[in-house]
Amino acid sequence: MDSIRPDVLDFYLTLGTKVIDESHDQDTTDLDKCIVYIRDSASNQETSRFQILATGALGGRFDHEAGNLNVLYRYPDTRIVLLSDDCLIQLLPKTHLHEIHIHSSLEGPHCGLIPIGTPSAKTTTSGLKWDLSNTEMRFGGLISTSNLVNEEKITVESDSDLLWTISIKKTGLPVENNTP
Amino acid sequence: MSSAMDVMTHSSSFLLPTEETPGKRYALVVLNQNLPRFTPLLWEHAKLRLCADGGANRIYDELPLFFPHEDASSIRHRYKPDVIKGDMDSIRPDVLDFYLTLGTKVIDESHDQDTTDLDKCIVYIRDSASNQETSRFQILATGALGGRFDHEAGNLNVLYRYPDTRIVLLSDDCLIQLLPKTHLHEIHIHSSLEGPHCGLIPIGTPSAKTTTSGLKWDLSNTEMRFGGLISTSNLVNEEKITVESDSDLLWTISIKKTGLPVENNTP
Repeated sequence: MDSIRPDVLDFYLTLGTKVIDESHDQDTTDLDKCIVYIRDSASNQETSRFQILATGALGGRFDHEAGNLNVLYRYPDTRIVLLSDDCLIQLLPKTHLHEIHIHSSLEGPHCGLIPIGTPSAKTTTSGLKWDLSNTEMRFGGLISTSNLVNEEKITVESDSDLLWTISIKKTGLPVENNTP
Repeated sequence: MSSAMDVMTHSSSFLLPTEETPGKRYALVVLNQNLPRFTPLLWEHAKLRLCADGGANRIYDELPLFFPHEDASSIRHRYKPDVIKGDMDSIRPDVLDFYLTLGTKVIDESHDQDTTDLDKCIVYIRDSASNQETSRFQILATGALGGRFDHEAGNLNVLYRYPDTRIVLLSDDCLIQLLPKTHLHEIHIHSSLEGPHCGLIPIGTPSAKTTTSGLKWDLSNTEMRFGGLISTSNLVNEEKITVESDSDLLWTISIKKTGLPVENNTP
């Protein structure tokens, strides 16, 4: 609660929003605290199986951004998507073969696969302009950036946890649903 | 601390007024994101100024905004890049014409799709044969962060791919530089300009052992890895920070909103 303005806090308290003050816990990021709340929420079993969409996790201070990317790695069993105006990011755990369905009116074509935490000895993809075939990726060497989606379905298989990122289109995206 | 390793010192002197940095040589690379508010100061410090493709649009459009009481055209003439380099798919035709007419060297690398615009500019600075000194420049880059994450990751990778070149990525909020594992690092903090928020990020590969001094939460042969502990939301506690690691780390520190001169007012 060190950033929320007092007038904003009062407004939502009055509306009935539940406010949980975690100022005693300086070891975890704000995103962390929210994910723990969602996962551990006992009042509704379904909330623990929610896919989590997070805005505002990128940009600003780089240590904050890195801490938020680390949250994806620390909860690999929880589906978390980080979203900005320009792109989305999600974790592709090494434990699974991944199929990514592309909504081409809304996202792409720019995409990438980023081995942020540890190098990948072997990654294989299909559906990209520059596919990987048991390709090594590492910081200091090759990482897949400025790639392009070429098909409606992308597959990724890797020996390492990777971050998948794809651009979000500026046009064609509805701001709100107008159906009454 | 190991005493056998060479020491690499770091100092954000490029954020100081220009007369306080004798002997340092900077090259500035402007990439295609909003200009940080201290861009005119970086420009004054730099001996070589490059725009990477759409970075030229930013200089043209946004630098005059820092000088609202001056004529935009005279600002554009004063802040003329030495080189514009890149694949030329972002720069506006009118901006390109303007700088060509002023004499800016334009290098079209659109045939080379394998490297990022930042990469192309660093290669230019390092390989510049006309002046041996340019290969020893410290490179300041704006606009490398934010926007598309794959662009940002590609720019962070440039730090790892040129570990012998001093490159600092700058935004309004923070700076990032590589601390190669080959050296013991001493980071001098200008506390009126930067901090206190800082972090050490093991991008690319985990660190089995990192040791620091001068931070609020120092590390002592501590392991750091994505999926586990990484040092974020740390605080600088002293004027000198030391870092020693078995792994290449990214050092990041916040840049203060106040106290930073936008430009050097000394004529």
